[in-house]
Amino acid sequence: TPLGPASSLPPSFLLQCLEQVRKIRADGAVLQERLCATHKLCHPEELVLLGHSLGIAQAPLSSCSSQTLEVVDCLSQLHGGLFLYQGLLQALAGISPEVTPTLDLLQLDVKDFAINIRQQMEDLGVAPTGQPTQGPMLTFTSAFQRQAGGVLVASNLQSFLEQAYRVLRYLAQP
Amino acid sequence: ECGHISLSDSIVRLGDPVTASCVIGQNCNHLDPESEILWKLESELQPGGRQQRLPDGTRVSTITLPHLNHTQARLSCCILWGNSLQILDQVELQAGYPPPTPYNLSCLMNLTTNSFICQWEPGPDPHLPTNFTLKSFKSRGKCQTQEEPIQECVPEARQSHCSIQRKHLLLYQSLVVWVQAENALGTSLSPQMCFHPIDLVKLEPPTLGTLDPSPEGAPAQPDCLCFHWESWKPSLYMEQKCELRYQPQLGEASWALVTPLPSRTLHHKLCGLLPATAYTLQMRCTRWPLPGHWSDWSPSLELKTTER
Repeated sequence: TPLGPASSLPPSFLLQCLEQVRKIRADGAVLQERLCATHKLCHPEELVLLGHSLGIAQAPLSSCSSQTLEVVDCLSQLHGGLFLYQGLLQALAGISPEVTPTLDLLQLDVKDFAINIRQQMEDLGVAPTGQPTQGPMLTFTSAFQRQAGGVLVASNLQSFLEQAYRVLRYLAQP
Repeated sequence: ECGHISLSDSIVRLGDPVTASCVIGQNCNHLDPESEILWKLESELQPGGRQQRLPDGTRVSTITLPHLNHTQARLSCCILWGNSLQILDQVELQAGYPPPTPYNLSCLMNLTTNSFICQWEPGPDPHLPTNFTLKSFKSRGKCQTQEEPIQECVPEARQSHCSIQRKHLLLYQSLVVWVQAENALGTSLSPQMCFHPIDLVKLEPPTLGTLDPSPEGAPAQPDCLCFHWESWKPSLYMEQKCELRYQPQLGEASWALVTPLPSRTLHHKLCGLLPATAYTLQMRCTRWPLPGHWSDWSPSLELKTTER
C-alpha cells in the first residue's frame, strides 16, 4: 500500500534531509563560485550543447511533483539521483587543485544524504533490492571538458536539490 | 657464555613476585668455578639465590623476588672476581597495573575542521607504557547492529583525545565509539557510546554588531538598545535557536537571559533597560530542533543606553 504523504516518515528524518539539502546546496554554490573564479566558467547555460555531447544526464524527480507525489517512488528517485550525482562528481576528480577540497566535501555530503535516504527506505521496508544504476561513466578528453562538466554537474545538482527541497518541505509540513 | 639472565616475566603487577635465573656456561673458564653467583636489584644485593651445578658443568642460580615494588628496576647477575663484584648480565624489570577503564568519553562534531573530536579520561597512571585507541563502527538505529568498522584513531603520545576525519564518517548515521586502553598487563574498554555525529555538533558563537544610527535621526529610546546578530556562517544551513544574555556594567549585576531567539536578525531592539547605562551583551546558538550542543558565548558587545 502506498505510503500516505509523509504519514510514516519520521519528522527527524525529514528535518535531517532538509538540513542535508541546504548543506549540499551550500557546498554546490561554493563549487560553482570556485569554478567561476578559477576557470572563468560562470554560465552553465553556455555549455548546454557541450553537456549533451558529454552525456551529462539529469536525474528525474517526476514522482516528487506535488500533483503526482508517490512518496516511495519519490524517495527512490531521490536516492537514484543522488547516486547518479555521486558518480558524476567522482568523474570530476582531478579537475583542479583549487576545486578539489570543495569537490571532496560535496561528494561526502551527497553520499551521506544518499545513505540516509536508503536506510530510511530499508527501515520502512520499501527499499529496492540492489543499488540504482549509475549510468555511463563520464569521460573527458580535455581539462576544459572536465571543468565545463563540473559547471554543468553543479548546476544540474542545484536544480535537482531545489526540487528535492520543495517536496521535503511539503512532506515535513505538520 | 659468561652469564645470561632469563625471567619469568619482565613486566609484572606492582608487588607481585619475579623469578629470574642466571646461567654461567662451563666454558666460561676465567671465572673461579666455586665462586657464588650474586644478585643485585638496582644497587642492593638480594639474598636468596639458589645455586646449582648441572652435570655438564653449567652453573645456574635462581632467585625469586617476592614483591617487586619498583615500577622500574635493573636486576643484575654478578659474581665476585678477586675482590670486586662483576656484573655478568643485567635486565630491566617493570611493574605496574593493567590499564584502568577509560571514562567520561565525550565527542563533538567540529564544523570548522570538519572532524569528529572525542576526548576521555585515561584514569590513574598504571606506571606502564599504555596505548589508547579510539575505536568505532558504523551502525543503524539504536546501534544494536555492527556494520562497517571505521579506521582506528590513535591519539598522539600522552594525549586523551583523537579526531576522526570527515571522510570516515556518515554524519547522519549511527556510530558506535569507545576507547581501548592496552598495556603489557592487559586491555580495558570504555563504555560504548551510540549517536549520529551531526547530533553532537557544537557551533562557533554568533557575531553581534551595532546598528548605524537611523538616518531619520529618530531619537533613541533611553531604555532600549538596538543591535543585530548572525549565527556562524558555516552553520547557516542548520536550523538553530539562539539566546542572549546581558548585564549592566554595575557592580555585581547578574545576567538577564532572553531565549529563544532566531539564528539571525538585522535589527533587534532590547528594552526595559536602565538609561545612561553601559551594558554587556553576549549570545550563543545551538542546532535546533535537531540535537546539538550550545556554542560558547560570543565575545561581548558593549553598548550604552542614552540619557533620559
